[in-house]
Amino acid sequence: MTSGQLEIIAIASLTSAACALVGVFLVLRRMSLVSDAITHSVLLGIVLAFFVTQSTTSPLLLVAAALTGVVTVALVELVTRTRLVREDAAIGLVFPVLFSIGVILVSRYAGSVHLDIDTVLLGELAFAPFDRVHVGGVDLGPAALVTMAVVLAVDVAALTLFWKELKLTTFDPALALSLGLAPTAVTYGLMSLVSLTAVGAFNAVGSILTVALMVAPPAAAYLLSDRLWRVTLLAAAIGVGCAVAGYWLAFVLDASIAGCIAACCGAAFALAWAFAPGRGILAGARRRARQRVDFALAMLAIHLATHEGRPEAEEESRLDRLGAHLRWDEGRIAHVVAAAQRRGLVVEQAGVLALTERGRRLARQAITF
Amino acid sequence: MTTAALEVTDLTVAYGDKPVLWDVDVEVPVGTLTAIVGPNGAGKTTLLRSILGLVKPAAGQALVLGRPYREQRRLVAYVPQRGSVDWDFPTDVRDVVLMGRYGRIGWVRRPGRRDREAADEALRQLGIEHLASRQISQLSGGQQQRVFLARALVQEAELYLMDEPFQGVDATTELAIVELLRALREHGKTIVCVHHDLQTVAEYFDRVVLLNVRTVAAGTVEEVFTEENLRLAYGGRSAAFGRRNGP
Repeated sequence: MTSGQLEIIAIASLTSAACALVGVFLVLRRMSLVSDAITHSVLLGIVLAFFVTQSTTSPLLLVAAALTGVVTVALVELVTRTRLVREDAAIGLVFPVLFSIGVILVSRYAGSVHLDIDTVLLGELAFAPFDRVHVGGVDLGPAALVTMAVVLAVDVAALTLFWKELKLTTFDPALALSLGLAPTAVTYGLMSLVSLTAVGAFNAVGSILTVALMVAPPAAAYLLSDRLWRVTLLAAAIGVGCAVAGYWLAFVLDASIAGCIAACCGAAFALAWAFAPGRGILAGARRRARQRVDFALAMLAIHLATHEGRPEAEEESRLDRLGAHLRWDEGRIAHVVAAAQRRGLVVEQAGVLALTERGRRLARQAITF
Repeated sequence: MTTAALEVTDLTVAYGDKPVLWDVDVEVPVGTLTAIVGPNGAGKTTLLRSILGLVKPAAGQALVLGRPYREQRRLVAYVPQRGSVDWDFPTDVRDVVLMGRYGRIGWVRRPGRRDREAADEALRQLGIEHLASRQISQLSGGQQQRVFLARALVQEAELYLMDEPFQGVDATTELAIVELLRALREHGKTIVCVHHDLQTVAEYFDRVVLLNVRTVAAGTVEEVFTEENLRLAYGGRSAAFGRRNGP
């Protein structure tokens, strides 16, 4: 593996981790679409800062973009508060306006420089190692790597410091307010982080795929764990895994790196959705199947208990007559009776079923509930 | 005259130009158990929320122990309706209870040993210490309510504002909550509950505020909780009350 490849993988990994960390809180706050809005509208901030600094690497670009992100959220809230449109419509109204202004400015005034729409939308990881940062003649590495390292460090520091505040304002903003832990300030702080991360992620994967990195790994992690810190670490780990896997997929397919990373994010979510223990659909199907069997066993036990010790008992408990009485087909009878015997609920004697003590207990419990 | 635990004066709250509360006055003495009772849409929850500054009043104010709520935040614990939070949130019971301490802990600092002890003690008081590390989505309605009450306890407040603490809980939990509220009162705390079940008002509470956009009546249960006042508060719907008390 060349050092260029290593650098690309490192950039992608840092980007994915940073996006996943802030994405967890967006997903939990049901604000995933805000990431879409912010990743687009920050373009305006970048362009405006570019006009001031005439540089595509100035740290001011990050600051300006972060501010634009916050402005976006504030505008969305402003429009929502008029109660004329709902939040989803407000998001759809605000960010295209800001983004389009950015697009117009780029196409009109910055057409000749390294700020083109394709890069903004899709990113270009493959060329990232060529744009390097030098300080005092020392090569610090690709600009994107340095930027993302700083962004990730800021994210980690903010999440560590304000972990408790972020958690509380996400779970119960009313309690946060009544305890004096300013939920609005925390929300805007989070939005600044999201914006900052989004700008950094531009270089790597472009604005559209940043959304995938911010939403898919946290959504997958949420299905896999039920403690916030574990969800957060897992989201970052999934993000990094997708970055590495996506890079190699792109290498093998000779396709867009960003596209492959985002595809891996989608695949990671699909896997979690299908196989997550507890919340996945397979686990859910298994649970429902088990409940169906449990319910059938209870029905069988109650049926036998109802007629136990009465004149009709033998007729009602005969294996070959059960089907007629319960209106179950032969296959189901065989299946349920076998399960009941395995669990020691019934015993069979000369074609007649009898409840064991355990079977009677089950019938009693089932009825009293 | 001693200072009231809660004194709401001339409180008006409107959504747009639709008044939800009109010039409401409420006075709650220290060490009492007060029920806020009224029909749907009477503004009961809004009253609690505006006391807490969650809703901005158009006029009037709420004083907690003689001073504006903003200066007395520490002294007030709020127990919202259970449905107000997402119970699928990835956390466990002890963590939710600890959240009640966040105000005392302050910004950035972490919960310490004393905070964890307070949380464990509150869990014990509510009889849910065995649920401490249970994921909150696996709780029953009654257990969720106990978690919220434990979270309010660790705030070590003087005034407890509760929004329908008995809503949708089992009989055992209801009794446990009543016991807890009485224990708090014995310790000189003041409790104000939005309450729905008219039949238990006299049994559970000392005082009652009958609310229907305006204060219909307020005072001790004996003075205020009369058929006549209920008819005033509930309008035509007081028939429902008569039937529920009837044979």
